Amino acid sequence: MTLSLHHFLMLSAIIFGIGIYGALTRRNILGILMSIELMFNAANINLVAFNRFLHPSQVWGQGFVIFVMTLAAGEAVVGLSLVLAIYRNIKSVYTEKMNILHG
Amino acid sequence: MEQTLSTLIFGVMAALLIGLSVVVVTSKSVFRGAIALTAALGVVAGLFAFLGADFVAAGQLLIYVGGIMIIMLFVIMLSQRPQDHLDRQTNEPWVWGALLALAVAGVLIMQFRAVYRGVFVTAAPMPTTASVGRLLLGDMVIPFEAVSLVLLAALVGAVYFGLEKGDQR
Repeated sequence: MTLSLHHFLMLSAIIFGIGIYGALTRRNILGILMSIELMFNAANINLVAFNRFLHPSQVWGQGFVIFVMTLAAGEAVVGLSLVLAIYRNIKSVYTEKMNILHG
Repeated sequence: MEQTLSTLIFGVMAALLIGLSVVVVTSKSVFRGAIALTAALGVVAGLFAFLGADFVAAGQLLIYVGGIMIIMLFVIMLSQRPQDHLDRQTNEPWVWGALLALAVAGVLIMQFRAVYRGVFVTAAPMPTTASVGRLLLGDMVIPFEAVSLVLLAALVGAVYFGLEKGDQR
């Protein structure tokens, strides 16, 4: 059996589905952030696989992966400092406790 | 023979990645989930190397495993309470979340199978670091500069949100 492009794409689809499940069902906001990182990585696997299989002489897909990683780093830093700020105020990391704006 | 070997390596990496991802979203302890996520990101770096993207694999290890996950572990250790491991970690309508995730993954898998079935590698992998660098500072130079602004904004935002209440001088 020879590896084809759809093997990599199916793996990334499975990881993306797992990430969606985690982001929708986790109560802990840190768990939600980690699930979002999983989804980023599924998209990155897609980009690199398309790059390798369809355009092997160019590196545009890998360039995009670097941008995705950079933005994920920025998102994680801001998100985590927000989590710490919220935790200092309401002493909880559970999303259903974060409802002080709901009137 | 070589094909069988690479298929075997891919199978092992895929099984590891799926198993670790399931641990990330289901484990009761967030800390254990973060450790599993660290390992999963390492496996993704292995997949990148497997796909001939050497620079991106190294960047994945440096940025994700060495950077993002360390911050995440610090925040987890700073924000846990002792009774956390007694609470349930999923919300009430988790079945709907599972159904939606299954639907999305199922549709994606069917489409990928239908469209990209017989696409095989045609060229041998080449070192990519030089061409990635030329791409980033050539054709992609405007997004490159924009992303540096975004990083600066993230840095300022993180410092601002991290300040204590009485600390705003």
